Amino acid sequence: MLLFAPINFIDQLLLKAGLDAATINHVIWPFIQIGLLVTVVALWVAYATYLERKISAFMQARLGPMRVGPWGLLQPIADGIKLLTKEDFIPEKADRWIFFFAPYIAVASAFIVFSVIPFGPDWAVVTDINIGVLFVLAVSSVGVLALILAGWSSNSKYSLLGALRSSAQMISYEVAMGLSLIGALMFARTLSLSGIVTAQQTDAIWFVVYQPVGFLIFLVSGIAENNRAPFDLPEAESELVAGFHTEYSGFRWSLFFMAEYAAMVIVSAVAVTLYLGGWYFPLVYRLTEARGYHNLYVVVSLLVFITKVLIVLYLYFWLRWTLPRFRYDQLMDIGWKWLIPSALINIALSGLSIFLLQALDGWQGIKLIDSLSQGLNLTAYGKALMIVFGLLGLLITGALLARINWRSRDFNLKSQRRTIRTVNLPKGQPAVPVAAKG
Amino acid sequence: MFDLLKGLALTLKYNIGALTDSDSVAGKGIYTEQYPKVRPDVAPRFHGAPRLNMDPETHDTLCIACNLCAIACPEDCIDVIPMDVEIIVAGKPRKKKVLDEFIFDTSRCMFCALCQEACPTYCLELTQDFELATYSRGGFVWNREMLEQGRETVKYTE
Repeated sequence: MLLFAPINFIDQLLLKAGLDAATINHVIWPFIQIGLLVTVVALWVAYATYLERKISAFMQARLGPMRVGPWGLLQPIADGIKLLTKEDFIPEKADRWIFFFAPYIAVASAFIVFSVIPFGPDWAVVTDINIGVLFVLAVSSVGVLALILAGWSSNSKYSLLGALRSSAQMISYEVAMGLSLIGALMFARTLSLSGIVTAQQTDAIWFVVYQPVGFLIFLVSGIAENNRAPFDLPEAESELVAGFHTEYSGFRWSLFFMAEYAAMVIVSAVAVTLYLGGWYFPLVYRLTEARGYHNLYVVVSLLVFITKVLIVLYLYFWLRWTLPRFRYDQLMDIGWKWLIPSALINIALSGLSIFLLQALDGWQGIKLIDSLSQGLNLTAYGKALMIVFGLLGLLITGALLARINWRSRDFNLKSQRRTIRTVNLPKGQPAVPVAAKG
Repeated sequence: MFDLLKGLALTLKYNIGALTDSDSVAGKGIYTEQYPKVRPDVAPRFHGAPRLNMDPETHDTLCIACNLCAIACPEDCIDVIPMDVEIIVAGKPRKKKVLDEFIFDTSRCMFCALCQEACPTYCLELTQDFELATYSRGGFVWNREMLEQGRETVKYTE
């Protein structure tokens, strides 16, 4: 197709330049992909800020950026130029080198993850590692280090407190994030992200219907991981000025900002890959690849992926501009007392449901499992039963969580009601404490 | 739990309302008036810049130099300067007082419209023009011609 002529053209050019096919496929093309990816991601992050401003404006019945370019589309570029031209100062007693490096660590850890995310089937993923999920979790955890370094090196009390709060929050929610992924992995039986999407494709199902609990836990812990509202106390302007990036200005600050938005996109992308089917959408394969249009298949899958990530990103913005923020102790409560137990319960229940499925297979002639070779392939009955198990798991998890947290202060408000005693107060007299009557 | 969902539904409703934008009301549209590009709606009774009306056919001023507006003004910002002209009434020359010059100081004006109420011929009227800024103190003092013709305002659209 004409649209893909450049790829073939570049291939021909490189072949003529004397490089052999192996080098082209494994060295040159990855570099081109990486270059393209970094550019696209940087632009995407910049325009995510634009989208956030527009969406938040529409939710508040106002317009958002409108003056810089048509419909304000050049606003991120104007912001970038403004930040580049600001004075770059480092506080006097700050630890120079750490102050200097912290933003770069944050941005690097956020951007590296994009290399394993499957944007599409064939050439739309930069590399496909066997342990993709582990890689994602490990590299995004390095972002916490950048946070702490930034707070410490700023030599300012607000920064330090903000960094400590923020890093405590992030490591609490990482546990829940990792555990919640295991539920989906039980169905995919592979850690490679492309493999997970292929498992969803061959199974013709999105794992979210099997694992509603897992999806919810992953989303909530992902939002908390990113320090986004309603979990954004570390960045709360009214309380900590700006948290760990108080002392940063100009381009260094914008690097942290970009790292935050890139991390948002990553969490959305991982949620989409693991639960919402990645680049898989029911009829796409049949309409494109099966008829021989390979590149079209990849492009359409790419668009499907981007649409899904945009929907999850919209969820991020929607939550931020609707909900007030959590108090710090409520935040830590949720992470440790609600999400981790529910993630563990989810794993146990998923395992139990798979076991039950295999046990019930063939009962009264109803075949539930097609094959266990590549992922868990279920028949229609099997899928229906699995969905029922998923919903039941939602109820059971809710009940168990309520039971566990029954005595916790914020949860069980009814038990906190005390009987109200009226004090004997003559009119016009100051309140005098009545001696306790028994 | 349910109030969370209700809150989310509300913001979603506002978002969709802003995108479909049927009415300038929160939830059904966007409040924002993009001011320099769009002239904002002001009320019909808004007190803005003054204007001396003229007779639509003959283009003579309606002002009869009665000085009632200057008397009514609490800020003393109107100065009506009359002059006598000779007219013939029933064959005899008579003197008639007509308007020579009308000075209106918009920097002192508080737009109370007492002058508009006092005018017996509906000549002096406060329009809906609120863009009265000038580059000099002197530009605030309007003479008869400015009051009758209006002032050129800078247009930001097209």
